Amino acid sequence: MTVTPVVRDDYSAPFFDGAARGELMLRYSPSRGTWSPPEARLCVTTHAADLEWRAASGEGTLVSWTVIPGRSRDGTPVPDTIVGIVETAEGPWLTLRIVNADEVPPAVDRPVRVEFVHPDNSEAVPVARLVASP
Amino acid sequence: MNITPTAIAGLGMTQLGKVYGRTPAEFAVEAVTRAAADAGLALADIDGLLVNPGVNNDTDLRLQSTLQLRDLRLLTTIQGFGSSAIQMVQYASMAISAGMANVVACVYADAPLKEGRGSGAAYAGGNRPLTGVEALPAAAGLKSAPARYAIAARRHMETYGTTSEQLGAVAVAARAWAAMNPLAQMREPITIDDHQNSRMIADPLRLLDCCLVSNGAIAIIVTSAERAADLAQPPVHIWGWGQAHPGYTSYRDSNFGLVSGAAQSGPAALRMAGVTVDEIDIREIYDCFTYTTLLTLEDYGFCAKGEGGEFVASGALAPGGSHPTNTGGGELSSYYMWGMTPLSEAVIQARGQGGQRQVAKNDLIMVSGNGGVLDFHATLIVSPHAKTR
Repeated sequence: MTVTPVVRDDYSAPFFDGAARGELMLRYSPSRGTWSPPEARLCVTTHAADLEWRAASGEGTLVSWTVIPGRSRDGTPVPDTIVGIVETAEGPWLTLRIVNADEVPPAVDRPVRVEFVHPDNSEAVPVARLVASP
Repeated sequence: MNITPTAIAGLGMTQLGKVYGRTPAEFAVEAVTRAAADAGLALADIDGLLVNPGVNNDTDLRLQSTLQLRDLRLLTTIQGFGSSAIQMVQYASMAISAGMANVVACVYADAPLKEGRGSGAAYAGGNRPLTGVEALPAAAGLKSAPARYAIAARRHMETYGTTSEQLGAVAVAARAWAAMNPLAQMREPITIDDHQNSRMIADPLRLLDCCLVSNGAIAIIVTSAERAADLAQPPVHIWGWGQAHPGYTSYRDSNFGLVSGAAQSGPAALRMAGVTVDEIDIREIYDCFTYTTLLTLEDYGFCAKGEGGEFVASGALAPGGSHPTNTGGGELSSYYMWGMTPLSEAVIQARGQGGQRQVAKNDLIMVSGNGGVLDFHATLIVSPHAKTR
């Protein structure tokens, strides 16, 4: 599985520091008790401006997904790329690579656990592992 | 609010498609020149210029100098991506109504296709380094427009039971119209089987769910309805318009993929026009993907929410159907000039110049523009008749 390398900027440094620790960092408004996705500068539901980085549970469910067929290069098979929207347990959505669709078929509301991969020359990047229903 | 009635008086189109060796500015000059001539105007009559740069943003205000236009009273770029063409008509009409300008040229020009490179590369975004949290979707592999729309389409399919074959019906209908359009790039009729056998681009979207990519330019001339009546072409009267930009939140309860800005923009345009959706004769819908057509038709109210699949599969959109839609073949089969694709065909149909594909009843035509991934929406209602309501 190839995840494209990502570099940090000043804003995203706490997110990627958390990712390196294995923690999913989201934005949180202490005054409103609301969560927002990582890119939010204002709260997505209240417009609160006092957002800070806070570790989230890393749990969520699958909202939607696509399968991008891999095209062989020089006769070498390239695996499909599966990308989905994950709704975290806290509410914010993340667009993440799904790493185990060959083991657990994607489905709406399928439970998801956020994990992290460490591509070469890249910050740690969150990915989604589908959880089979009990 | 009193608004001076306006009309589209001129239409100028360059050669469209795999046309190489020309810059967007060169295309734009030809399109504006043709639009003015089509209206029976001189370039010197133009006192307003609105420029919609394409995906590479390489057409800009310098177009005034390239066109040798003097003493403009209105000049700016408009960037609402696929909603830009209709936005330009709206802003031109308001400027004319306010006395700010009399004759406004609106132009879209782009040349993303490069010889020897696939059309997918034209919108691929290059190899810029991915930086920050905003880059996480791209890092995950969500880099192309088809992939981003595929996630939206999948949500609609999972929620409402929309099928790939139903999306295929949109492509088949568009191609049937394109077969009668000498301007269309793809004129060979297709079947649902052809659609189902076309290669998967980003599941659930297949090759025949995706629009073309074209080089070229289209320009229109907007002026007062009064002045348009004395010009060379039948006026295409502007009856109503709307815009809606949903600002989808990446958060629980987002309706991304299920409802677009069309749900607000369409009714606003109908209210302004003083007509109901049932009175619309022709639909020119922004069809970057088959799914976009289906979603927009639902949101405009041509069928109930969630029933778009059955609606399009009924044959309603095709020649001879109950709801003629994308009568030139649309972006799927004709040419991809962003919002100028549906707008240009609306002008042709309103004038009665559609030749073999002309729809007999053309009193009211609803046109849509869609940009981003359902992020930006604009609607226009035009008619061959002066507004009476």
